[in-house]
Amino acid sequence: MRGSLRHLDSVLALMIVFSLALFFMFLILPLVDMISLPFTFTIERLVSGARTGYSLIELFSDPKLFRTYSTTEPVRVAQLGTATLVNFVGWNFGVIPNTLIIASLVTLNTTILGLIVAFIMARYEFRGKLLMRVIAYMPLLMTPFVNAYVIKKLFSFDGLFSYVMNTVLGLPFKINVDGMFGVILTQSMAFWPIVYLNIYSSMMMIDPSLEEQAENLGAKGFKLFRSVTLPLSLPGLAAGAAVVFIFSMEDLGGPIAYGFYDVLSYSIYSNIKAAQNIGEVGAYVGALSIILLALALTIFFGIKKYVSLRQYAMLSRGGRWVPRARKPGVVGSLVIYLVVLPVMIFTAMPQIGVFITAFSERWSRAYPEGFTLEHFAGILTNKDVQTGLTNSLKYAVMATALITVLSLSSAYVAARSRLHTLNEIIDMISTSPLAIPGLAIASGYIITFTSWPFRGTLLDPLSAYGPWLLVVLAYTVRRSPFATRVIYAGLQQIHVAYEEAAMNLGASRLRTLATVVIPLLGLNVLSGALLAFVYSVAESSVSVTVGAVKTEQKPLTAVMLDFLTSGRLVGLQLAAAMAVLIVVTQLLIIFVTNVFLKQRYAFIGV
Amino acid sequence: MTRVTLRKVVKKFGNVYAARDVELDITRGELFTLLGPSGCGKTTTLRIIAGFEYPDSGQVFFDGEDVTYAKPYERGTAMVFQNYALWPHMSVFDNVAYGLKVRKLPKEEIRKKVLEVLDLVGLRGLENRYPLQLSGGQQQRVALARALVIEPRVLLLDEPLSNLDARLRVRMREEIKKIQKTLNITTIYVTHDQEEAMSISDRVAVMNQGKILQVGTPQDIYFRPKNTFVATFIGKSTLLQGRIVKKDADKILVDIGGGTRIAGKLASDSEINEGDEAILVVKPEDFLIEPPREPHNVLEGLVEFSMFLGSFTQLRISIANQNLKVFVDPKKEVKPGSKFVVYVRVDDVLVFPRISEEGAVETA
Repeated sequence: MRGSLRHLDSVLALMIVFSLALFFMFLILPLVDMISLPFTFTIERLVSGARTGYSLIELFSDPKLFRTYSTTEPVRVAQLGTATLVNFVGWNFGVIPNTLIIASLVTLNTTILGLIVAFIMARYEFRGKLLMRVIAYMPLLMTPFVNAYVIKKLFSFDGLFSYVMNTVLGLPFKINVDGMFGVILTQSMAFWPIVYLNIYSSMMMIDPSLEEQAENLGAKGFKLFRSVTLPLSLPGLAAGAAVVFIFSMEDLGGPIAYGFYDVLSYSIYSNIKAAQNIGEVGAYVGALSIILLALALTIFFGIKKYVSLRQYAMLSRGGRWVPRARKPGVVGSLVIYLVVLPVMIFTAMPQIGVFITAFSERWSRAYPEGFTLEHFAGILTNKDVQTGLTNSLKYAVMATALITVLSLSSAYVAARSRLHTLNEIIDMISTSPLAIPGLAIASGYIITFTSWPFRGTLLDPLSAYGPWLLVVLAYTVRRSPFATRVIYAGLQQIHVAYEEAAMNLGASRLRTLATVVIPLLGLNVLSGALLAFVYSVAESSVSVTVGAVKTEQKPLTAVMLDFLTSGRLVGLQLAAAMAVLIVVTQLLIIFVTNVFLKQRYAFIGV
Repeated sequence: MTRVTLRKVVKKFGNVYAARDVELDITRGELFTLLGPSGCGKTTTLRIIAGFEYPDSGQVFFDGEDVTYAKPYERGTAMVFQNYALWPHMSVFDNVAYGLKVRKLPKEEIRKKVLEVLDLVGLRGLENRYPLQLSGGQQQRVALARALVIEPRVLLLDEPLSNLDARLRVRMREEIKKIQKTLNITTIYVTHDQEEAMSISDRVAVMNQGKILQVGTPQDIYFRPKNTFVATFIGKSTLLQGRIVKKDADKILVDIGGGTRIAGKLASDSEINEGDEAILVVKPEDFLIEPPREPHNVLEGLVEFSMFLGSFTQLRISIANQNLKVFVDPKKEVKPGSKFVVYVRVDDVLVFPRISEEGAVETA
């Protein structure tokens, strides 16, 4: 350790202190603070018997959180005029079981679809493959909240699907998807490409000779898939599934659109909203956030461990590395064109729907009608939208600047410092925001920064200054892993000898960074920053909670949610138009990073 | 010109010694080579001198000044890296000028010096090229120019020729030696190639497992190895095991089994007694096919294997269940399985005591 310390210089030390301090202040401290709150009350309660605050004891006896019975029937059939209306509603067992049921079923659905599509993409060559690849990316286009509303409209009793079945096809049925099933449907449609992309990249890394060897020994078809291909793809599958599970738990769009409020994400959200009025947030939010955080972290670290133990797919090197792809047979073609492709198009419908909605005059019947550019004119003249747009751009630009410095520092330290324990700590902390639900961060922030010693300071979101600084810092912490990963990958491509050569010729660390490291990293830093920017603009969890406490400081996503929930005329169309703005920005950045900067990871989205 | 001294330098990576009580005294203007197999600690020792690694204990001096813990950029050394480490985003000119810019020299002077040094390494006219547009040999020259231009106190070369093809390697090592002698810079050269070390160095240090086994001129190392490791690493020598039968002042008689006795000369600084186990070392080119005038041994064995290598033929001759490696005239036809007689001068047989000295190699 003492020997390693000798390698420290002031610049390296500054980078370490800066990254650790930022993550400590705006990630660890608020979370620890939040976790300790209900414990404090629990201990107080146990010791004195006083009934102050919300303790963990209540958490497990609250029927709103846990029930042994469902208050709804999963499927209900009713008569609606001449048609039979089938209501798919799902169960309601209380906040915690609901969250787990939704997350589990969404993970299951997305894994099945993701696995099938990944296998087809990785192992078959067929007409329309490129089109399928593009469609598979579509659900990843960021249309905060709006996609959930579009799905709800498509599947309501007077929506497009009932219209096609009842009116067009003349069947005596109508369907209505609502409640828990609506949330599951929405999330499954939105998240499956995450699993697909992870499994796909795993499959592409399998040495073709491993499968050829198995075939050579007589394995084929499903036997080959089950005994070689699937086990070797498990790391990707596990990583993708874990991310989906966490995303599902913290998703707000689905629960808000379907009015299915008995889930962790919405409970935390609504309690933070309520706290705006009373000026502080209760331990109840803390208790719920702890559960959310604990579940997410368990899964994140469990998977990380599991994946690191199973990274064997890419062990062998050398020889021909042409991934195996063949033409599908008749049955295979039928499955691809008649089952898989339609399902994929179906999952892209929300994004397509958002675009159509943004350009339509109204959507009062089964489908959007009329063409207009009025909503774009509307959002450009609407004062709320303008405020939201400027705020989001301001916050995202500031956050991106901070993220660039932060991720350069933490990636450089993790890749280059000789203090090995410290490297691991920084590496772990700097990637953990990927797994930490934004709502947990939001409630941590409100608990910590509204009380002593931050009360009334620039950091206090409820002070006269408003929440803008805290929102910028939250974006920074939440979105930095995207840039850190890109920069870290770049650093691993740069041989240490480039830096040693500079220092050997008399350049200080700072000069080496400026003249050698950063110029060589250029494209990585730029694409990391662009990614961080677009993900900051589309951030929702902190934006609609902490960001929404002061009207004139609301970011764009908070304004979109207002438009959707306020019941105002053409609110959906205006929100869709805003979503189109975000998507176009995203597409532009993906185009730039993929085509000009030749970066491939821009789209993974996890 | 700087004198470089290492005193009791120790460096461990985990449980492995990369440097174990390394003592070196490299005089001004000398071309000094660290020679050893990969993993022997030679590169680590060089990196300690450059300041990229700090020793666990011991000291490094430049002209008597303790620089053990000085930062790399405070030392005034210049290193040529094994992979050259030419910055791909800078032109040849900018690569070479880097060290001068850091030293804040006036623009005109930088230009003058860069062009001068490019002249010296024969790259004048390529200053606007980028590293990726150069051949391996040209990149090597740029790396050398970049190091030389700052007029370093010490020039460090880390296996600089290992990425070049065999012919270019020979030419470059001649050039490096010429430039080094012209500029008279204290130079430390790391290589695992004994021929390269012999041809280029004023002095050589042979290293194994972090230890310096012998320091001396190429002739010292070649003709007077201090132990069996140096003997085998340098000369591709044959090792034979045996037991001392008789010890005289000028020769030692060793029984290598099967009734075969070989007379040899005690290696320098060794001590040995009658009855001790011993190891005999003979260079392949010291086996002769005609009897010499000097006192010699006559050995008859069976040819097991013969390999034509162009300028000579290598034979494996089995004698008393041990093998001799013998180089003979390529024109002489030798059939495997035939009997073969070789002669070796008593003075060309080195006798080492068989002790488990550090870094020594046992016979196979």
